[in-house]
Amino acid sequence: MRQGSTLIASIHTALDDSELVRFEHDLVKQIGEHRSRGVIIDVAALDVIDSFAALTLRRIADMARLRGALTVLVGIQPEVAFAMVRLGMGTGQIPTALDLEEGVQLLAEVAATRNFPSSGSQPQKRT
Amino acid sequence: MVRRIVHARVGSHPAAEDLVQETLTRVLAASPTIEPGMLEPYAIVTARNVVASMWRDVDRKHRNQHRVVDLSTPDPPETQVLLDEEQSAMATALARLTERERRTLLDHEVKGTDTRTLAAREGSTAGAVAAQLNRTRARLRVEYLLAAAQIDPPTEQCRAVLMALSSGDKRRQREVHAAQHLLECEPCAGLSQPLLERGQPRDDRLTIPVTTDPDIVTARGAARELASRLAFGPTDLTVIATAVSEVCRNIVRFAGTGEVVVNLLEVPRRGIQIVARDGGPGIPDVERALDDGFSTYGGLGLGLPGVRRLMDEFAIASEPGHGTTVTMTKWEKADHE
Repeated sequence: MRQGSTLIASIHTALDDSELVRFEHDLVKQIGEHRSRGVIIDVAALDVIDSFAALTLRRIADMARLRGALTVLVGIQPEVAFAMVRLGMGTGQIPTALDLEEGVQLLAEVAATRNFPSSGSQPQKRT
Repeated sequence: MVRRIVHARVGSHPAAEDLVQETLTRVLAASPTIEPGMLEPYAIVTARNVVASMWRDVDRKHRNQHRVVDLSTPDPPETQVLLDEEQSAMATALARLTERERRTLLDHEVKGTDTRTLAAREGSTAGAVAAQLNRTRARLRVEYLLAAAQIDPPTEQCRAVLMALSSGDKRRQREVHAAQHLLECEPCAGLSQPLLERGQPRDDRLTIPVTTDPDIVTARGAARELASRLAFGPTDLTVIATAVSEVCRNIVRFAGTGEVVVNLLEVPRRGIQIVARDGGPGIPDVERALDDGFSTYGGLGLGLPGVRRLMDEFAIASEPGHGTTVTMTKWEKADHE
């Protein structure tokens, strides 16, 4: 995970349900700790997003919104997108972007229209 | 005298002493029916039978075991210990058969007496004797496994289920709810493995036990792996993995324990069939469970109806108190991807 005023969370491997829930808790906690305005969740490494994973991502976005942060979902694989649509689920109201770069840009645009101070919105890398 | 005969045949084999004892037990058991002068010849024949049946049973055991145990790198001391255990287990198993069953089986298998002769002796028909022999063999397999694992079956149902599996009697297996029992009874689940693998070796079939969250990830990975042997494109592979993920979640969430069987099909078309079975409470209203948005735990309510949309064939059978079975199939499509 990396952070600035934007929190970037990459999921690196397939997560099972309890790991997803842990991920959810960690992330929501970190939004508060880092006073993040934006959250980018990179799911490029997920080979399956089933109903539970989709529900969890939605919940994260809802909670982040209540904590004052906008969530963008990036990196959904084409096959995963197909399966999600066939399963009958989307990501609800969560905005999505093709990849990390686009996600950062999307957040910057939203921040500009909301007239948020843009200083420090560049993500700092922490490995 | 008996010891000399046995040793002559098996050498310094560790089971020799067991075999001697086995022979003596049998001779003593039979002694009231033997004429005085005939005791010695009878003992010799019995010893031969015991030894021969040991080799035959060990051989049978090996034929059945090679799919479970990797024999390609045998470790000599361990192998010897295993052999030793196998023989004492077999002796125990033979001892658990009734005298009549044992005699008929040994006469047929060792002496080569045909079923007609045996039938005449038993006052029965050849067909009935053959059927009885099959039952005896099935029983011997079960008793052997029980003895080898040193397990006493925990419930009355266990022996019946294992017998049904051993004899390969599908109708009987349904009668005793064999698949269900294996999910509920841990010892039987373990013991049944060699019985279930007695048929042709299958590398196009995979059974994954599902009890906890990580098993969901394992199961969908395994299903994807197996499916990738067919000409499924990446989209279909993901679709299959997603469907497996959903049905596995239902097992973990509602039943707590179950299994997923992934089967590659050749007929009527190439495809993959997934059977998810659990021993849970069952679904009281299957129709509602298949409705979009119906959920009993605050989920999206997309699991089952979504899976139905993902797969080509979908069937669900559920009986309250007796668990749920979902059978679903995805056909390989040759024309696209």
